[in-house]
Amino acid sequence: MNMPDIITVDNLVLVYPDGTKAVNNISFNVKNGEFFGFLGPNGAGKSTTIKVLTTSLKKTSGSVTIAGLDIDKDAGEIRSLIGVQSQETVIEPDLTGRENLVLQGHFHRMRGRPLDDRVDELLKLLDLSDVSNKKASLYSGGMKKRLDLGSALVHKPKLLFLDEPTTGLDPQSRAAIWEYLEALNKQEGITIFLTTQYLEEADKLCQCLSIIDHGELIVSGSPMELKQQVGGDTIEITLANGTRTVEPGLKEKAEKITASIHGVTKVVDTNSGLAAYAKNAGNLIPEIVRVFDFNKIAIASVSFSSPTLDDVFLRHTGKRIRSQELVQKSAYSSRYRGRRNS
Amino acid sequence: MTYDTFYDIWYLFVRATKKLLRNPILILFTMFQPIMFLILFTQLFSKFSNLPGFPPVSYLQIAFAGIIFLNAILAALQSGMSIVEDIDSGYLSKMLSTPVSRISILLGRLFSDATRLVIQSIIIILLAYALGVSIRTGVVGLLLTLITVAFFGIAWSGISLAIGLTTKKSETVSAVGSILTFPLLFMSTALVPAAFLPSWMQIASNYNPMSYAVNAVRALTNTGYDWGAIGSAYAVIAIIAVISLGATLYQFRKLVK
Repeated sequence: MNMPDIITVDNLVLVYPDGTKAVNNISFNVKNGEFFGFLGPNGAGKSTTIKVLTTSLKKTSGSVTIAGLDIDKDAGEIRSLIGVQSQETVIEPDLTGRENLVLQGHFHRMRGRPLDDRVDELLKLLDLSDVSNKKASLYSGGMKKRLDLGSALVHKPKLLFLDEPTTGLDPQSRAAIWEYLEALNKQEGITIFLTTQYLEEADKLCQCLSIIDHGELIVSGSPMELKQQVGGDTIEITLANGTRTVEPGLKEKAEKITASIHGVTKVVDTNSGLAAYAKNAGNLIPEIVRVFDFNKIAIASVSFSSPTLDDVFLRHTGKRIRSQELVQKSAYSSRYRGRRNS
Repeated sequence: MTYDTFYDIWYLFVRATKKLLRNPILILFTMFQPIMFLILFTQLFSKFSNLPGFPPVSYLQIAFAGIIFLNAILAALQSGMSIVEDIDSGYLSKMLSTPVSRISILLGRLFSDATRLVIQSIIIILLAYALGVSIRTGVVGLLLTLITVAFFGIAWSGISLAIGLTTKKSETVSAVGSILTFPLLFMSTALVPAAFLPSWMQIASNYNPMSYAVNAVRALTNTGYDWGAIGSAYAVIAIIAVISLGATLYQFRKLVK
């Protein structure tokens, strides 16, 4: 038997008091130990779903269980099993890094030596030991994010909810957070539920993901499966010496032999050579090289590109996540700045 | 309340107090007006005490109690602002996603705000002492004064907390505060003895909670233990507390659910 699902969501609906239907009848399960992603553009309903799953928002209808516990009846018990990092970095700027973690531990009923040891451990894990006694307001953005992550981990949760953990971070800080998260998932076996609007992030980290848009769940699966559903990869073959100097008929021959390779669905002529479409293109490359070599056709380069999650989103919604992401993010960040400065 | 609740109240009290001590300017933040009253206003009206019928003490001796409570109602606004800050920053949500006792979030806030008010009141008392105010009932009277101010402050904090929790806007909290402050101050015995108020203001003053608190502390300052005045002050404080903290609790429950 498989490991039981740590999260089950059935026909979840959330309607805000003003009538906005933020989450519309979604269902999904998350397996114990899984790194699960919720991918969608801003305003898709990701944060709302996380708020329901973390007991801070009451669902309108549907049923949700966390570790077998009912979200309405056992909210208190659920809170001690989960760690939550919200979209905005929430720390207490006037307290030191250590004090922030200790206070969070207190909220989880931890005290004394075990708490101190755990806090030391986390400070070390998150590379904050050196600054642990400095006020958190003096930390850089990446350090604040890490401290916030640490405060979600103090009580060793079985299940960690992360709402856009890397939004607004520079590439290095983002890579560092990814590393911590993968380590937590693999080494400590923590189930991670992550929302993101970044395609690379979902692709890199998640074993399974659901794509949502306008409060509806569009498709679920592993990143690999989802991308494969889109259709084939593209293999680009460039012939040696370019097209102009190759002897007549050689290119036609090359096209013919490429088309005959098992798995290739279509071959088209390109300027410098040809392009073939196939599933699992990576697996075909050795075969292509072998066949070309056998036929004495010199190849300058072979490359392939896989469909991205953006192609998945495009196929299911008819639009790209990228363009929306950019527009909405700039609007969001200017609003956010405005509020902070006032 | 469970054992854990007391711990939670203590941790949240410590959090708020550390914040306060690391931003000492917050202690002085609401004290500007009361200090201006203490230094300038009492000078401006110092000849007031020559009027026939005025108690045989300086004007400062009379205004002292009023200024203590002026500070209390201004300081109480901070409670509402702080809870709005916690809502805005997401810290309240963060706390609510843990098993922390819900009521301790309010109680920790109230106790630390009362502590801040006591610190501020001590500053005002020291300044007043430097300016020549003497306390008839001595140290015990001062202690009783501080306790009365602390309870008054807790009751009054409930008003700003209820507004903050309802509107979730610190602008509204401070607007309501500044609208209320001067009518309450002037239509009370805060700055003059009751006999010096015009008759319509005397009537208003009889319904003004400020007057009751001020009268009790003024007696402690100038005449002695007036248990009748002290009893009325505590009765009025209790009424405000029941209403304001009841409203706060109601709004808080709504928010937490």
